[in-house]
Amino acid sequence: MNRIDDQLNRLFRAAAKVEAGAMPPPPFGLETRILAAWHTGSPRGFWDGALLKRGLVFALVIMGISLCPVLQKNTSSQANPFSEYLQLAASDTTSQFDNAP
Amino acid sequence: MDNREGSIRSEGDSPGMTDAEVSACLARGRAGDEGAILELFHYMHPHVLRLVRANLPAKEGAEDLVQKVCVKVIHNLHQFSGKVPFLHWVSRIAVNTCLNQIRHERHRPEVRLGDLSEDEARVVEQLAASPTELDASEKVAAKELVDKLLAGLRPADRLLMKLMYLEGRGIEEISDLTGWSIALVKVRAFRARIQLRKSYARLMKENP
Repeated sequence: MNRIDDQLNRLFRAAAKVEAGAMPPPPFGLETRILAAWHTGSPRGFWDGALLKRGLVFALVIMGISLCPVLQKNTSSQANPFSEYLQLAASDTTSQFDNAP
Repeated sequence: MDNREGSIRSEGDSPGMTDAEVSACLARGRAGDEGAILELFHYMHPHVLRLVRANLPAKEGAEDLVQKVCVKVIHNLHQFSGKVPFLHWVSRIAVNTCLNQIRHERHRPEVRLGDLSEDEARVVEQLAASPTELDASEKVAAKELVDKLLAGLRPADRLLMKLMYLEGRGIEEISDLTGWSIALVKVRAFRARIQLRKSYARLMKENP
């Protein structure tokens, strides 16, 4: 084994023998604070807030409603892109026949 | 719950509670019994304090962190499945809370021979001069020297080295406590060990 490794191992073995000592009792007031926190209930983080979830759902609904007409328009124009021209042409032809002597 | 509570370190400091008593306390605590919550708090407090003291470099923040850990445990009692011993579960929460606390620490002092106390410098000399184990009288100085060497590591690496070499925990146990994969524990331990070796070699070079 490397000389440095051996020395480090001996150093760690000696350091590990140091006892942490007896743990003191909980400081005054900690018990009360723990109980108070328990009574307050689980702390709510940013992501697990019910308000945030409701806000996200609401935003999605608004997005859906606002995108709906645009999508409908797109699908109808994509079905036949020349539909407006055909309508115009048809009306023009009809009016020409109507005006014929 | 199986009978593995005894394997958790610092059990001796906790008020004596059998597995059955812990289970009963947990059930009562989940049902909203204030007395049971207090019993659980007194049971885990010494264990949490020891873990926090061992893993937090600045001792002044220990009490706040102990409170944070205890509150986390009590709020999440419903998540405890009972598959592992209660104190083991508490340890995992404590270690992760400590890790989050020290994660953003930037100050990593480089240890120099001139920074060592007389006793610590003597430990370095003794290690270099003799292949035997250090005397029991030198263990406190050895611990202080180790703390100084570990202070130069990244927080996660420091925690890993303490768990591994000072608390004598195995790789699987560390993986369980920290939530890191076994491969990650091994890689981190290897890198941290290289870093420690460099720091110690630097000290040895300075040692006349």
